[in-house]
Amino acid sequence: MKVQVLEWNAVASWHWDLKVDDSGVADELCGICRVPFDGTCPSCKYPGTDCPLILGDGCTHNFHLHCILKWLEQDTSKGLCPMCRQVFVYKRIKNMGTSEELHNLQVLIEGHKAMRERENEENEFDSFEDDVRMTD
Amino acid sequence: MAALPRRIIKETERLISDPVPGITAYPDESNLRAFTVAMDGPDSSPYEHGVFDLELYLPDDYPMCPPKVRFLTRIYHPNIDKLGRICLDVLKDNWSPALQIRTILLSIQALLASPNPDDPLANDVAEDWKKDEAKAIGVAKEWTSKYAKSHTASGSAE
Repeated sequence: MKVQVLEWNAVASWHWDLKVDDSGVADELCGICRVPFDGTCPSCKYPGTDCPLILGDGCTHNFHLHCILKWLEQDTSKGLCPMCRQVFVYKRIKNMGTSEELHNLQVLIEGHKAMRERENEENEFDSFEDDVRMTD
Repeated sequence: MAALPRRIIKETERLISDPVPGITAYPDESNLRAFTVAMDGPDSSPYEHGVFDLELYLPDDYPMCPPKVRFLTRIYHPNIDKLGRICLDVLKDNWSPALQIRTILLSIQALLASPNPDDPLANDVAEDWKKDEAKAIGVAKEWTSKYAKSHTASGSAE
């Protein structure tokens, strides 16, 4: 028998490579927009590499890039993870790219860090003043 | 009006299909970001048997900003003022986008169960509360039966 292929269509699917829990399901919802990680965040038209997953380092919480960016832009975020309120830092992954948005994320994280340090210094200064007053 | 974010649609659906016990929340037909809330006073609190009306509004930048919530029913509580404004950390500095409408409403219900006169919003009430707690609780009970209509939020009469 001779078969002639007249037409063919290639179909591919993709998903983010995330840790899978015991039931075999990845913890798949972004904690901020509650849309699946493989889905489209509210700022995007299409899912994909323009909006990579940002993996928390230290905490285990993951977010769409645009979602965590929007949160850290708020002063009230104080640079903390929305889920566990630890200071948010992210894992650097190979081939993560160097988009402007990733750069902005880094700038925001550093900005919050500087703010915290400034506040700590002020607090130390206050307690120093208290000490001086006590010895007077 | 801009399209409603999916998160808000999902939250609304779940509030209706799987309501928080003792709390109902429905969006207004004309504005799906505005909710009418009815909350049962917690058991063994001065607000027991009362049903309190609240309004809840989701600002444009929700969930980056907390919802705006206000009591419409008069209530005698050290952390809720005459205008119905609520002093609660998660509605201000301690907001997080991991919180949602249902968790905020539960926090408010918990605030009714444990008033905190050391962090007052209604100063006169907080002072009364600290001076003579038993008397203040009596006033709160009186206001509850006077202003908070006495059926449960789920609609069934007592």
